[in-house]
Amino acid sequence: MEAAALAYLAAGIGAGLAAIGAGVGIGWLASSSMEGAARQPEATDDIRNLMIISAALIEGVALFALIICLLLAVTIFLG
Amino acid sequence: MLLPAKYMKARARSLGFVALLVLGLGPALTATPAHAAEGEVTLEGIVNNVILGHATDGYYLNFKPFDNVELPRIMLVRTADGNLDLEAYGSTASMLKNGPYGIQAHGGGESGGHADLVTQGAALDEAISADEHLHSSVQRTDGHVVLDLSISRHFVFGLLAMLIVLAVFIPLAQRYKRGVGREKAPSGVLQNMMEVLVIFIRDEIAKPNIQGEKWRKFLPYLLSAFFFILVANILGLVPYAGAATSNIAVTGVLAVMTFVIVLLYSSKDHYKELFTGPPDAPLLVRIIFVPIELVGLVMRHLALAIRLFANMMGGALIIFSLIGLIFIMNILFGGAVAGGTVIISIGFTVFILLLKLLVAFIQAYVFTILSALFIGMAVEEHDHGGHEGQEDHSSTSGRLEERLDAVEEAVEPTSA
Repeated sequence: MEAAALAYLAAGIGAGLAAIGAGVGIGWLASSSMEGAARQPEATDDIRNLMIISAALIEGVALFALIICLLLAVTIFLG
Repeated sequence: MLLPAKYMKARARSLGFVALLVLGLGPALTATPAHAAEGEVTLEGIVNNVILGHATDGYYLNFKPFDNVELPRIMLVRTADGNLDLEAYGSTASMLKNGPYGIQAHGGGESGGHADLVTQGAALDEAISADEHLHSSVQRTDGHVVLDLSISRHFVFGLLAMLIVLAVFIPLAQRYKRGVGREKAPSGVLQNMMEVLVIFIRDEIAKPNIQGEKWRKFLPYLLSAFFFILVANILGLVPYAGAATSNIAVTGVLAVMTFVIVLLYSSKDHYKELFTGPPDAPLLVRIIFVPIELVGLVMRHLALAIRLFANMMGGALIIFSLIGLIFIMNILFGGAVAGGTVIISIGFTVFILLLKLLVAFIQAYVFTILSALFIGMAVEEHDHGGHEGQEDHSSTSGRLEERLDAVEEAVEPTSA
């Protein structure tokens, strides 16, 4: 395979893996925080704030991957 | 509350990837030559000029269907005889016509490399009339460019966001000075609306995250960052405008500001822990922890910049990819398929625009709360005995940070 094709393949696979990772992470986070909020409704506000922050942190890692994939695809395309 | 949003966002992003993949596959599927006839829309043109050109920075404001407004170019150059010189031109076109500059189209060369430098003559006029000069890289023919200080689109809209924030908040501040809002109830839609946001940031972001009374010192920065990012994000939703925060340089500077505040206002306890590791830990643990801690400090703020940039950039790219899909379908499969794509594309675009409105608020909030968190972690002073009274005061925020540390450790092992 030529280099450009490999780069596209890598970008696609990488993006998919990043999406899987972030999806699992945020899903897990959401399920736990919902459980926590259901068990302790008075702590809902606290839990929501923590959830948003940790979701942002997880998302940050996924976005690192996304940027790398994007760079891979775009740089190759621009030649 | 956030769950459907996050879910939808993930879906939107994967859709964007589908669009990007289609874009990526485009050149492989089609037999369209790279150089099509005059005025014909090519796949390469769509991807390069329309999608990437709109989502990234550029030296023009696009007012289609009217005209492009080219922005001034300012170049700090080193001429061939070694002098530093500051050159200013009214637009990219005039720079190319009057200055020693040429354009180089992307990837149009004979052997797949770069095309030749176009400097003068009919070829240049042709390129300018086709707006090609706005999407190509500009190079100097003698000497080289040291620093490109040109005014770019994101610069213009960042400045506009700043002016809007100033125009809203300076009159409001004067009202509070006069006593409206302090002695009497705040009056008017604007003052009430802004007071809600300001109090939200004070009570929900600054106070819980920054120990004791120290939040007073950092509240102005947090408010400035929040409102600038919010206005800049929302400007990205305005037709013909763009989001200054979808530029890595802008978000980078914002993150650097937080980083500088963290470094300047760190307590002695924070520095001590940073350079000598956790207290009461064995030496081996300290040796492992100190580099991790140092890298983590930088990575945290780098992630702050990347997060905001990638979110805003991602939204713009997805929208332009969806719109571009119509034209790509037209080239690949003809008008009928493109007509069907219009309905799907417009539907998704509206959906993603709504999502972007949500993301504009969430990202401004996330940036501010993470800044507050990092500042709070840095300025926190530990009790060295004696101040038993302070224990109650900081126990909630201390607990919050402890838990966040645990979360962060689980999420990003490098920034533990």
